Amino acid sequence: MTTPVISVRHLTQTFTRTDGGRVLALDDVSLDIPAGEFACILGRSGHGKTTLLNAIAGLLPVGEGDIRALDRPVTGPGTDRGVIFQKDAVFPWMRVEDNVAFGLKVRGIDRTGRMRIAREHLASVGLEAVSRAWPRELSGGMRARVAIAAVFANDPPILLADEPFGALDYVTRRQLQAVLRELWQRTGKTVLFVTHDVEEALLLGTRVIVVSHGAIAEDRAVDLPVPRTDDDLATPQGLALKHLLLHHMGLE
Amino acid sequence: MTSTIRSAEGYQRPDYATAAAGTARRTGGAGQLHSFLRTTAVSAAGLAVFFAAWELAALQLPSSRLVSPQATLADLIRNFVFAPRLQVFGLGRVGYGSLLLYTVRNTVLGLVAGGFVGILLGLTSARLRLLRIFVDPLVLVLGTVPVLVAAPLFLLWFGVVPFTQVLLVAFYSAVMLTLFSQRAAENLDPLYERWATTFGAGLDVRIRNVLLPGTLPEILGGIRITLASAWGLETFAEILGAPSGIGQAIKALTNMNNVSGLLACVALVAISAILTDLLLLAVAGRIMRWA
Repeated sequence: MTTPVISVRHLTQTFTRTDGGRVLALDDVSLDIPAGEFACILGRSGHGKTTLLNAIAGLLPVGEGDIRALDRPVTGPGTDRGVIFQKDAVFPWMRVEDNVAFGLKVRGIDRTGRMRIAREHLASVGLEAVSRAWPRELSGGMRARVAIAAVFANDPPILLADEPFGALDYVTRRQLQAVLRELWQRTGKTVLFVTHDVEEALLLGTRVIVVSHGAIAEDRAVDLPVPRTDDDLATPQGLALKHLLLHHMGLE
Repeated sequence: MTSTIRSAEGYQRPDYATAAAGTARRTGGAGQLHSFLRTTAVSAAGLAVFFAAWELAALQLPSSRLVSPQATLADLIRNFVFAPRLQVFGLGRVGYGSLLLYTVRNTVLGLVAGGFVGILLGLTSARLRLLRIFVDPLVLVLGTVPVLVAAPLFLLWFGVVPFTQVLLVAFYSAVMLTLFSQRAAENLDPLYERWATTFGAGLDVRIRNVLLPGTLPEILGGIRITLASAWGLETFAEILGAPSGIGQAIKALTNMNNVSGLLACVALVAISAILTDLLLLAVAGRIMRWA
């Protein structure tokens, strides 16, 4: 058996509230994500999915348990795990192309090289025309594209996305889902994608993991064609899966 | 008219945010002129009220107490290059202009040196808990030392040399800007730094590329307040003891009861403060085009 790209073993995360109360965010979670998978973590707000993603990203100190990425223990953030946040994290003080090239600059790649890579990735998300613009001149959807281009330009083998399209309107969200799916198919990266949207999980994921009350309530492969259309979700298989997920979300 | 942006999917959609900015730019020609004229008129009215009040007060008071704006201006022009009466006080063959240059140089040097230390210390200590614990009490203690105490002490320790005044300005600028920078760093959304860490950015890279540019708009406010204070500090330090400077001229003119000269020197410091503030704003506007 090949080593999983992401491996979580018996992860338990607790937080202390300001009033002194203890919150169990993750309760003995274990999962393996093999290379090239597009795994969607689905769940309701406050049930631990973002905590799980942040722990894997190294943005939270691991409580109890063990997390490994590319067979190395996760002790902090690393360039092997690119992260796209829900909130707009694009630096307002850098031009679009400098934002995309930031990771490459940190890695010490010379300006000519990093700008070439940045422009290639901006083209891949349809933003080559605004490479010299300031982020404030772009719409929310365009800034989300910049974030995607920045992460892909840095070429991490793992992509972690925390509800990256949650704040966008329906049309923009669908466009960006298509952009991300295309980039994933082209690059073969391992993606862990947090969402609370059942339809989004079914459209994008090759696997859906439902997190409920800090534990894994469901872990299903999505055996539907890739890329996927709304018609694929309307097949008996797609509908059965959708009902199962809606049930876990407490909606059926 | 609304601009359009071609998306990855090939269609063009209106971009209202950019369009709004574009509309502002298009109407900018007439709008900006109108705004400029209105601002200038209000500023001119304020100055007119000030000079009228000054003129009226000068008419009521003896010239040994207050002279008119015209008399002040005449004194300034007459003594700008060479002020013979200052020779008596051992200031050499100087005019208000050369003395002002000394003051400007020291103020700017002090602010730059203090600003460098203060901003670096403020930003770093905002992110390194141990350094913060070490720095905070020091800053609070040093910041509460009255300038009336610090200035004579510096004079005793370092002597009547330009370095003494530069150090005094740098000292208080560093203290003020440490506090301003700490606050600015606390107000910056932590998401930016979290994102930078996922690209492998260490603390030094984060300070240079995230903290410093991200906090600059807020720090700029602190720099302007510090600069305004720096003029007063420098002039006061010069009055206490300095080889040159407008403060020395003020000291000499006070001894001579020369009201017109005193007012001319105060006006020169005020004009310098306004001009450096405008210069600072222009530079900041250039650096912060993104904001």
